[in-house]
Amino acid sequence: MVVQGDLAGFRDGDPDAVRAAYREYGRMVFAVAHKVLGDRGLAEEATQQAFVQAWRSARSFDPTRELGPWLATIARRVAIDVHRREARRAHQPIDEVTSDPALVTLPESAEAAYEAWEVRRALDDLPAEEREVVRLQHLEGLSQSEVAQRLGVPVGTVKSRSFRAHRHLAARLGHLREETA
Amino acid sequence: MSADDDRIGYLAGEGGELDSTERADLDALRALLADPAVWAEPDPGLEDQVVAAIAAERTSGSSSATHRRRGDRGRRPWITVAAGAAAVLVVVGIAVSRATGGSSPQRFAATLTGTALAPSASGSATLTRTDAGWRIVLHTTGLPRLDNGSYYQAWLKNGAGILVSTGTFNQGPTVTLWAGVSPVEFPTVTVTEQLANGKPTPSDTRVLVGQVDERR
Repeated sequence: MVVQGDLAGFRDGDPDAVRAAYREYGRMVFAVAHKVLGDRGLAEEATQQAFVQAWRSARSFDPTRELGPWLATIARRVAIDVHRREARRAHQPIDEVTSDPALVTLPESAEAAYEAWEVRRALDDLPAEEREVVRLQHLEGLSQSEVAQRLGVPVGTVKSRSFRAHRHLAARLGHLREETA
Repeated sequence: MSADDDRIGYLAGEGGELDSTERADLDALRALLADPAVWAEPDPGLEDQVVAAIAAERTSGSSSATHRRRGDRGRRPWITVAAGAAAVLVVVGIAVSRATGGSSPQRFAATLTGTALAPSASGSATLTRTDAGWRIVLHTTGLPRLDNGSYYQAWLKNGAGILVSTGTFNQGPTVTLWAGVSPVEFPTVTVTEQLANGKPTPSDTRVLVGQVDERR
């Protein structure tokens, strides 16, 4: 967890503090960028830009606030900028590029960017073995039996891990259902 | 247990069942939990690049050397900083520069399947063109760790059967490799098991194989 001293170090560009911030929030920033952009390479570009912009703005950041939501906002904004740039490049000759952002439609995925942040953060809080069960069940669509076979563990073990993980996720992410209802 | 119970999975487990509110919460999140964007992992090298980018900007102030693409008028420049004599840091952004007036592909992807020697293995590769060559981010599952003189090696192969090595590694799930040849000319991705026995050629132990597709 990034503590007050790390925040001061991040503001100063201290490499260790920057690494601490990246290790705490980097995957979540990447998840937001990937959600908006749908492309790994562009998401990595946006992630790097987001951390640079966060560093540029760090002196104006109120340390009494949570760093995470602030970074999520920056990540979403940077990803949208990258999306607009790529959209203009794809559809118009370079010489005719316009700087009017209103002419480029915001991607629908940008609306779910904050949810992606929250889900990623909740998943990162799970023990690795529970997170892997959740990944196999949801991302790869495997049944419990198939997960057990893939991981080489008994089905009962999969059930236990799955139950604990999903209970934790329900507790952490229930507010998203209320916000989107 | 019915097929549905086995598939749904999280509804019941040791210690009890999730209550109706918990199930409703999770049902609403299914789409997000199945979203590849949520699970995607950045290149392990990205951490170093972030640290280096901030260090370079800190050193150069407003940035003495910037890379500005044609058409990016008025937009924040993508920063590429060359180290001075005193600073020993050279930063290369991940951004991809498009060749002037060209439309050659910048990114490819490949889905890798396990061979008969590794039927439970699978993987994917993303190939991105950079000034230094083609950066390959390889994701693998189902490959056990190899070490003590054994390792995995990835290759790109062309239609004539010529293989070019893109690097070696001990285990997944994510490794970054580099290629000095284009996936346009070498469109087959192969991973083999190798022994450190002085033989530079690929072994017959192929574990993963796939074809690249252009990705825009």
